[in-house]
Amino acid sequence: MTIRFKSKLASTLSVLALMSLPLAAETTGPGGEAATPTSAVTIDDAQAAELQTKGLKAALLWHDQSDFVNAVTAGATDELTRLGIKVVATTSAGFDSAKQMSDIETALALSPNIILSLPLDPVASAAAFAKAKEAGVKLVFLSNLPQGYKQPDDYAAIVTDDLFQMGKHAADALATSMGGKGTVGWIFHDAAYYVTNQRDQAFKTTIENDYPHMKIVAEAGISDPARAEDIANAMLLKNPDLGGIYVTWAGPAEGVLAALRANGNTTTKIVTLDLSEPIALDMVKGGNVTAIVADEAYELGRAMADTGARAILGVENPPFIVAPAVTVTKENVAEAWQQSLHRDAPQTVLDAAK
Amino acid sequence: MLSTLTSRTGLQGLIVYAGFVLIFLFFAATLGSESFLTTKNLANIVLQTAPATVMAVGLVFVLSAGEIDLSFGAIVALAALVAAIAMRNQPMIVGVLAGLGSGAAAGAVNGLLVAYGRLPSFLVTLATMGVIAGIGRSISDLQSIPVISPGFISFFGGGSLAGIPSLIIWTLAAIAFGHLVYRQTRFGAHVLAVGDNPRAALVSGIKVARIRLSVLILSGACAGLAGLLYAGRLQSARYTLGESDLMTVIAAVIVGGTALNGGKGTIFGALVGSLMMGMLNNGLILMGLSVSYQMIIKGLIVLVAVAISLRDPNR
Repeated sequence: MTIRFKSKLASTLSVLALMSLPLAAETTGPGGEAATPTSAVTIDDAQAAELQTKGLKAALLWHDQSDFVNAVTAGATDELTRLGIKVVATTSAGFDSAKQMSDIETALALSPNIILSLPLDPVASAAAFAKAKEAGVKLVFLSNLPQGYKQPDDYAAIVTDDLFQMGKHAADALATSMGGKGTVGWIFHDAAYYVTNQRDQAFKTTIENDYPHMKIVAEAGISDPARAEDIANAMLLKNPDLGGIYVTWAGPAEGVLAALRANGNTTTKIVTLDLSEPIALDMVKGGNVTAIVADEAYELGRAMADTGARAILGVENPPFIVAPAVTVTKENVAEAWQQSLHRDAPQTVLDAAK
Repeated sequence: MLSTLTSRTGLQGLIVYAGFVLIFLFFAATLGSESFLTTKNLANIVLQTAPATVMAVGLVFVLSAGEIDLSFGAIVALAALVAAIAMRNQPMIVGVLAGLGSGAAAGAVNGLLVAYGRLPSFLVTLATMGVIAGIGRSISDLQSIPVISPGFISFFGGGSLAGIPSLIIWTLAAIAFGHLVYRQTRFGAHVLAVGDNPRAALVSGIKVARIRLSVLILSGACAGLAGLLYAGRLQSARYTLGESDLMTVIAAVIVGGTALNGGKGTIFGALVGSLMMGMLNNGLILMGLSVSYQMIIKGLIVLVAVAISLRDPNR
């Protein structure tokens, strides 16, 4: 989960710089563009047939390796294969902008028509992607944008998670499990990271605006996931009757769960974000965890592939495309895991859910 | 067996060249002239490895003197950031001097602690690596600093002189300077003497502490120059620069034939080692392998190369 979270934070580097309204009421693009759902970005069979005759090539130039990137890669690769577009290179920059620039230069030797990438850093990537742009490669960016780049001349589109919806889904799921009333603890990420800040704030806003009988009575920031258990213990000491706790992502949620178990607390509900096996296991066993909200990483990759293909065909792309959030519960864990990562949930989780 | 044979015939130092040619031929045969062998791609390899090669020159001196520097990757970022920040409101020359100066100063701190504090360089540079990386993060507030001086970008990044890219000129200059100092000066001979047997060097009148201080300053300055090359190439500086170069450069220098425990080294070998690492990165990507397989294969090839380079037949 840490790796996945690190990957998520990569988006921070960028989207941070992109979005002028850091805590918007909904997810918006770098220039305030409205978000278009990924479901609106598709390639039909006739277009696919046309693409298949062109002998096209694509390169996937990622910022790092993680299960999130793997799921995006799988979604993109499956769709590119359907369209007859060959993936000629896959790279990981390991969060190093210089390596990403080298990766771009190296991949250009293979003359790709499409590049899918998460630009690590808006400033450095402006220079790094310049050669690809000059070569006429269709660029599709994940979550971040090189400084000064204009859509559609410089890049096809940005595709990212619907961060606001992730936080909102978490609030809705917790409200459902609490019957729309009670007290809530809010454990947010105490650092200037766009991804977590957006999600955390969306949760808070939704509870405050949509659920008049629910009240956030305790707030605690967390910067080190290892301290989650201590923070939860302190929160429970002051508020022993908490109805539910929101935890910013699954890593610290494991610590909060440990605190509840140690206190013999079986009633306080937990809702958190991003898939994690221990958290999912508690949820399907009817423990404290009531729901996990995840992004549709595979769908995100699929949409990136189609965005690039549409640019090749000269079809207009929306500038800012978001992949939906999915709420994972005990009832839908098998399907939702597939929906998010396009692979089976861990066997332990599936067995316990039976 | 192979190393015994090569050692006996004095060919062990040539292993890196043979390995380089073998890997080159393998990629040329499998990838052909459509991608790998294009002039642009081959030039890319040299350009991409320029900062690592410059770092390698400094490291050859450090290892030859029997020391190690683990902080040069962090110094790369520090120098790039200092230069970029200085050039926000100062002329290019101030940025260049500030960048190189910060690299040399960081190296001097290492050197003073090692030479006069009598502390092991492994532990000193392990500690200063963290300190320097922290300073880089702190002065940049984790943000990228853009470099907007066109002169700097051309001189250290994308420019060229008489058709030769400036990064290649810097690589050649660093190699020529390093080789001359290493082979043709008394300082170079003293570095090797200190690395080979510090007690004997001391007895024969060599100022051992001063040599240790000097090689670590040189390594810091080389890392500083590498930072400037990165800043020019990326037109920006970021605290992550150089982080991933530490192991690559150490591997390049050792594969190139420089002894890990001092007394032996080669600047040309370090150049070839560095190019070999760059060629591996490039070729494995062009082969279309997944990232995990790229890492596994690169690691295995480096392991084999290091094993052949380092294996002592008398052990």
